[in-house]
Amino acid sequence: MTSKSSLHADFSRLNNRRILVLICLFVALLISLWLDLLAGPAGLTAQQVFEGLIDPSSLNLRHSIILWDVRIPDALIAVVVGAALGLSGIEMQTILDNPIASPFTLGISSAAILGASIAIILSPVIPFLPSQALTPVLALVGACASAALVLFVVRISSGNRETVILFGVALVFLCEAISFGFYLIADAEALYQIAFWAMGSLTKAGWIEVAIVSAVFCLVFPFSLRQVWLLTLIRGSEEHARSTGVNVAKLRIWVIARSSLLAAFAVCFVGTISFIGLVGPHIARLLLGEDHRMLLPGSALCGALILSIASFLSKILLPGTVVPVGVLTAIIGVPLFLSLLLQNHRRTR
Amino acid sequence: MNLKVENVSAGYGSVQILNNLSFPDITQGQLVGLLGPNASGKSTLLRCLSGILAFKGHISFAGQEYSKTNHKAWFEKVATMPQSPPAPTALTPTELLWSTARALALPYSDQALAHRIEDLFTSLGIYEYRLSALSSLSGGKRQLVGLALALIREPELMLLDEPTSALDLHWRMTVLQLVQQRIKTQNQIAVAALHDLDLAARYCDTLVLMHQGVVVAAGAPETVLVEDNIARVYQVEAKISRSPYGHLHIDVIGPLPGSSPHV
Ligand SMILES: Nc1ncnc2c1ncn2[C@@H]1O[C@H](COP(=O)(O)OP(=O)(O)O)[C@@H](O)[C@H]1O
Ligand SMILES: [Mg+2]
Repeated sequence: MTSKSSLHADFSRLNNRRILVLICLFVALLISLWLDLLAGPAGLTAQQVFEGLIDPSSLNLRHSIILWDVRIPDALIAVVVGAALGLSGIEMQTILDNPIASPFTLGISSAAILGASIAIILSPVIPFLPSQALTPVLALVGACASAALVLFVVRISSGNRETVILFGVALVFLCEAISFGFYLIADAEALYQIAFWAMGSLTKAGWIEVAIVSAVFCLVFPFSLRQVWLLTLIRGSEEHARSTGVNVAKLRIWVIARSSLLAAFAVCFVGTISFIGLVGPHIARLLLGEDHRMLLPGSALCGALILSIASFLSKILLPGTVVPVGVLTAIIGVPLFLSLLLQNHRRTR
Repeated sequence: MNLKVENVSAGYGSVQILNNLSFPDITQGQLVGLLGPNASGKSTLLRCLSGILAFKGHISFAGQEYSKTNHKAWFEKVATMPQSPPAPTALTPTELLWSTARALALPYSDQALAHRIEDLFTSLGIYEYRLSALSSLSGGKRQLVGLALALIREPELMLLDEPTSALDLHWRMTVLQLVQQRIKTQNQIAVAALHDLDLAARYCDTLVLMHQGVVVAAGAPETVLVEDNIARVYQVEAKISRSPYGHLHIDVIGPLPGSSPHV
């Protein structure tokens, strides 16, 4: 007869505590989303926003457009892009067994900036295609091309982790060098736009962008969830995973492919906010441990939460201007990250 | 259910490590000790047996030739404990074992799995660390977690690569006793790479002494651990005696002059 073992009880308690942390993160995200909807120059009151959410016709046309075509998509893109970068970052860190692996260190963000720069510089020369359309497309092309290169290296190095990371870092330098070459021929206006794009901005995104990034996230996330046990096993003992017949090299290709794709779509519309892909996973790990059942959703939630808070702060910090959100994520993320890191060190001493 | 190893050659890239290696058939219920100095190819042989390293020659288990068995079926019969213990991460031993069992789709209910992990941890003396981060455990404790990882399954063939190297004497003996007891009651076979000659002689039914990728001697402990073999393989002078308790004892007198063994 199997009575409930005490280990089972302990483990359930641990899991429940972590689920509670996930719920808290989710609630925090809802609060931050709400604050983000309230923030902005148009002077909408909380009550108007609330009523406008339930019944758009309760607002006048101007307010309704501000709420439904500006604030809601802006607030939502912060959430989905943050979640995408958080998920992408944690999968890369685990599968490459490297705490600094992220869409940024693998060169995906830099390639996106390169693509966007080319689009911004060339768009005056190309007729018919508006810069707003060309920029995300070329950023996506750049990001996907770099992801394909990284995958190619994963393949030919039979999944050697150091080679992959070093290649990614080399790719960052290469993309930057080429970008600088383009800046030499760019005019001041184009340079300003490139700088603005590179710092990350959520304000250009509309419903279509929200839908596309959400769709890619929803496509990738189930695959990630199906492999949570395997990812935890690999994190714990790659040797053991291999000795039980897990094809680690193949898994590595597959995980990097889906996380790069996710990162590429996340950065192509809003510029590089790649810091979240690094810090979101670490914060989630400090809060939730390394059981990937908790860690993958936790990392997505942390990414979404940080970017949503950054989006809110970017609107209220300097009245009249929107501070680039990429700047803010670094300014909020770094101290938060450091304090958690140091706290964790003290605890384990 | 015999284990046969015949003319096995294997290596990494163009470097050949195992050269036409064979040893006598191993029958059910035997604990086999793989002995030999560092770099003699013990881990390499275990990798071939576990099915993760390609080799030439014949390995068969329970009448099934490795080359004719599908991979998945082989991995279901064989459980391996690699030489390196689980990484020092924030994972807890419970999470690691649980995830492993689920990743391998072992057919245990949550209750049954919890009981199994609890029993394993208790018998390996790591129960009190069940919810500690692996990074806070010593190398020896992590090695025991690694052993638990291999023992979570019910394999027919167990391959253990230096399962006791980081343990102190009490746990060395406990682990070997546990493995011995398990293969006797379940009629399994275990092959363990070991360093401690006295303990190997005491707990193993068969010893396989390796040197530079070939088998120097194989058979019952008292036939393998003789002074000539030890001198040849380990480059030390040794005297073999029986303790008053009947255990084989290898007394190492000193290194043989003029020899430079592999490091
Ligand atoms: N993954 C590997 N790649 C290349 N050479 C290896 C690898 N693993 C082991 N070797 C080499 O194979 C030889 C035998 O090693 P190994 O089987 O680990 O010996 P043992 O386990 O007996 O110490 C050594 O010379 C070692 O350097
Ligand atoms: Mg070895």
